[in-house]
Amino acid sequence: MIPLSHYLIVSATMFVIGSVGVLSRRNAIIVFLSIELMLNSVNLTLMSFSSFLGDVTGQMLAFFVMTVAAAEAAVGLAIIIALFRRKQTVNLDEINIMKW
Amino acid sequence: MIESYIPIFIMIVGAMGFAVVMGKMNEFVGPKRPSEEKLSTYESGMEPVRSARERFSVKFYMVAMLFIVFDIEVVFLYPWAVSYKLLGTPGFITMFVFIAVLLVGYFYVWRKGALEWD
Amino acid sequence: MTIESILFYVLSAGAVGSALFVVSRRNPVVAALWLIFNFFCLAGLYLSLHAQFIAVIQIIVYAGAIMVLFLFVIMLLNLGDERRLVEGVTPRKVVGGILSIAVLVELWYVFLGTPSIQHAALGNRATEIGTVEHIGAQLFTKFLLPFEVTSLLLTAAIVGAIVLAKRKLD
Repeated sequence: MIPLSHYLIVSATMFVIGSVGVLSRRNAIIVFLSIELMLNSVNLTLMSFSSFLGDVTGQMLAFFVMTVAAAEAAVGLAIIIALFRRKQTVNLDEINIMKW
Repeated sequence: MIESYIPIFIMIVGAMGFAVVMGKMNEFVGPKRPSEEKLSTYESGMEPVRSARERFSVKFYMVAMLFIVFDIEVVFLYPWAVSYKLLGTPGFITMFVFIAVLLVGYFYVWRKGALEWD
Repeated sequence: MTIESILFYVLSAGAVGSALFVVSRRNPVVAALWLIFNFFCLAGLYLSLHAQFIAVIQIIVYAGAIMVLFLFVIMLLNLGDERRLVEGVTPRKVVGGILSIAVLVELWYVFLGTPSIQHAALGNRATEIGTVEHIGAQLFTKFLLPFEVTSLLLTAAIVGAIVLAKRKLD
């Protein structure tokens, strides 16, 4: 049987890869994809705890995370489309009007 | 436990294998006599112009976005339908409220004309 | 090596490897396709955790719906080929990388020291938890409020997306 810690390590590794993507990439779409990666790694943690503890709450949370991710993707991509219409770019360094 | 997924696994491998074998077999078995005319992009007899990587219209985004939202709705309907007998009338009211709220969004989409293609 | 552990290591290697590809590819279409591969690996891992329903939902909702939306938007903005961004190495990226690796080491240290909970103690119940019947029974009783709030969230998402993305509001 695979121990719980192995699942947690996979999920932690994916989370950190996602956070590196968010921190280092400047393409808004890829930053968004990295955020999805981080959400999924958290889902893996929830699922492994749910399975190992025999409690369905973790799976429910993962289910709601997916629902929220769908809503987030719809609105987030709409924001990217609106930004692209205005500035003709998805480079996050060029979207800096609200930076001081 | 995991052994019970073996039939599904065999089916996936079979389906993918079939697709790959059929695609590749065409390459090996079919006769190939290429000419310049045959290799050019087929566009109903017209000369192909411009890049194929044209920008899509925002209409496609609208359809995909609505698809996601109503896909989620179906995903919620599925466990509800499976345990409907167990849930009884309260379960029915629950789902009724859920669908009623989503219908508000649906009518909004309709009135805003996001469902119309042009 | 049992068949379970072989599956686990193959799927985790696939998940971590494809995650690396997602953040390192320059072409967003390729990154999105690697992310779909990652979702399939995760669905396999969920199956190994006896969560059949969530594994299927993962493929239907994430790989099937959310990634389609992503690909449409990438093609809508036509970022596939021409509009690649030039991304160089900046001090900010170096600091971000170092901090992320520090977090990774910290998490590994904590998780390797965690005493593992025995999964086998549950016996037959372990497979029952993830079934559609059980999820349905719990979702519409214990998790009723989050479920109803979800409908509001989805409605808000519809309205928000249309207001933001529609060209002309009439």
